[in-house]
Formats: sequence, C-alpha cells, structure tokens
Amino acid sequence: MTLHIVNKSPYSSRALADCFASFADGDALLLIEDGVYALTGFIADNIAVAPVYCLEADVRARGLQMPKGIQSLDDTGWVKLCTEHNPIVSWFQ
Amino acid sequence: MNRIQVEGREIELDKEGYLRDLDDWSPAVAEQLASAENIELSDAHWQVIRLLQDFYREFELSPAMRPLVKYVGQHLGADKGKSIYLMQLFPPSPAKVASKIAGLPKPTHCI
Amino acid sequence: MAIKTLAICRRAPYGSALAREGLEAVLAGAAMEQAIDVLFMRDGVFQLMEAQAPDNIEQKNLWRNLQALPMFGVETLYVCESSLTERGIKLDRSRPAGSEIKLIADTGTFIAAYDHVLSF
Repeated sequence: MTLHIVNKSPYSSRALADCFASFADGDALLLIEDGVYALTGFIADNIAVAPVYCLEADVRARGLQMPKGIQSLDDTGWVKLCTEHNPIVSWFQ
Repeated sequence: MNRIQVEGREIELDKEGYLRDLDDWSPAVAEQLASAENIELSDAHWQVIRLLQDFYREFELSPAMRPLVKYVGQHLGADKGKSIYLMQLFPPSPAKVASKIAGLPKPTHCI
Repeated sequence: MAIKTLAICRRAPYGSALAREGLEAVLAGAAMEQAIDVLFMRDGVFQLMEAQAPDNIEQKNLWRNLQALPMFGVETLYVCESSLTERGIKLDRSRPAGSEIKLIADTGTFIAAYDHVLSF
C-alpha cells in the first residue's frame, strides 16, 4: 500500500489536505519537517487517517509534543517504513 | 559562437549547430545546415522538414523520435512512419538532425 | 511486467515551474518507451483549460505542449473528478486530439496501482 509523506505545515500548504483526499485503506502517513505541525491545533484533532508516523527528530526540533496514537520514528525506522510500502508519494508542496 | 554565411547574411548557431534565432531559417539556410551533416536535400527530405515545422507550430516543441515517427505516419502514410525510413534520410539521429535542419530547437526528450 | 510510473500534477500552469516540469518528465519518460501515466488533480486541472494564451507573460503555451502527449504515446489523461467539480471546470471539448480523459473518483486506490509516483 501507499506511504504518503508530507513535509509542509497544514496551516500554510494544501499538501496534507491533498494527501487526505488520496488516502486509501491500508495506506500510511508519515509527517516530516514542517509536516509535523499537523500535530498541533485543530488539525491534530482532525486527522482521520491511520496509521500516522512522525520523524521524532523533526518533532523535537520544533518543541512539539508527540500525541498519543502517533508513532515516532528515527531514521532507521523511516527507511524500514519505506521498504514496507509501495508506491511512495511525496506531498512536498 | 558558430556562424554560417548564407546568401550574404551572417547566421548564428549554438555550439551544437542549431539556429540561435528560429526566425533566421530559410530554405537556403536548411541546405547549408544539411550539407554540414553530409545530407543533400531531396523532395523526401523536404517533406519531412515541412512536417516537422508543422509539428512545432502545433505543439510548440521539437519531437523526440517516437512522436516524430507517429506524426510522419499520420501525415505521410504508414510506409514513411517508420524509424528506418527517417534514419535513411537523416542519419544518425533523425529527430535531432531533422530538427536542426528545419530550424527548430534541439528536441529535449531525446537521447 | 513493465514498471508503472505515475506523475501527479497538482499545480496550475505559469505560477510556478512545476506544471511544466511535470509535463517534461512525462514526455521524457514516454519518449523512452516507459509506461508513464499522468494524473491531474487540485490546481493541476487548470492546465487543461484550452484557451491559454501566455504570449504576453512570455511563457510557452503549456496547453499547446500538452497536445503532444498522444504523439508521445500518452493517450489517456487521468483527471481527479472532485478537483474539476470544486473549480467548476467542465472538460466537454477541452482535451488533446487523440486522447481520452478518464475521471478518477477514488484517487487513493488509483495511485496504489503504480510502482513509482512522481509529484509535481
């Protein structure tokens, strides 16, 4: 199944919304870089897809808390996740 | 910068021999560009050159080999819409060589 | 089996270079006989407006270039249905000659059938 990777804040970009619109059952979402701001505010309460992964280093760098239900990854975990999914779609704009 | 003289005009080419300014093209320019490729232009060559120019007017890009073959097949008949036919006219790389002689930019989707 | 690649184009033409880069990638892949499809979604569907005339903003006409897709062997253009509806666009006449438009309602399932996905 598809791994969707989002790297832009949902408060300034359509990337996450576009990703949600193309999210199929069994897919996974990975938030990296500014994509981790999806863990804040009203967006955080409205993530209707699962599973959701986050790069822990990006979350910590921005002073955010890792909410329950979100799985944190280090770089090795990220690589493993990529090998377990196909295709990989980068929502980078 | 490369230059060629055609009918008293000085015409600029890029380093691969394509026209810098597409408006510089004329049949005499084509003859000279062709002779630099060791090609003597026959009616069969002209037919393809004119068709390439139509292609460029229609799509605003120079065709790679695959679309060139298809376009030639659609307009000049299936017997001419073959790579071997175009290869004989414009060796060794028909899309590039014919585009150059027709005064079009270098095809960008081409090896 | 051939590796299937999908280019997702979700940017409007002219405002950024991404629309053109997406088309260039599809043309290059198709010219090399790769199995490459294109899906227009979100603002990418604005690329399919046929009356584009960008002469005065000194850009090449992307619509005109899109017409070449069937010549490169890309004869089916996939378009996200809800993106069209959202923007009030109807593609009654607006399609490259020799191509067919297939509207995709479930983009998620559609994307999952590909081996590689490029985003533009």
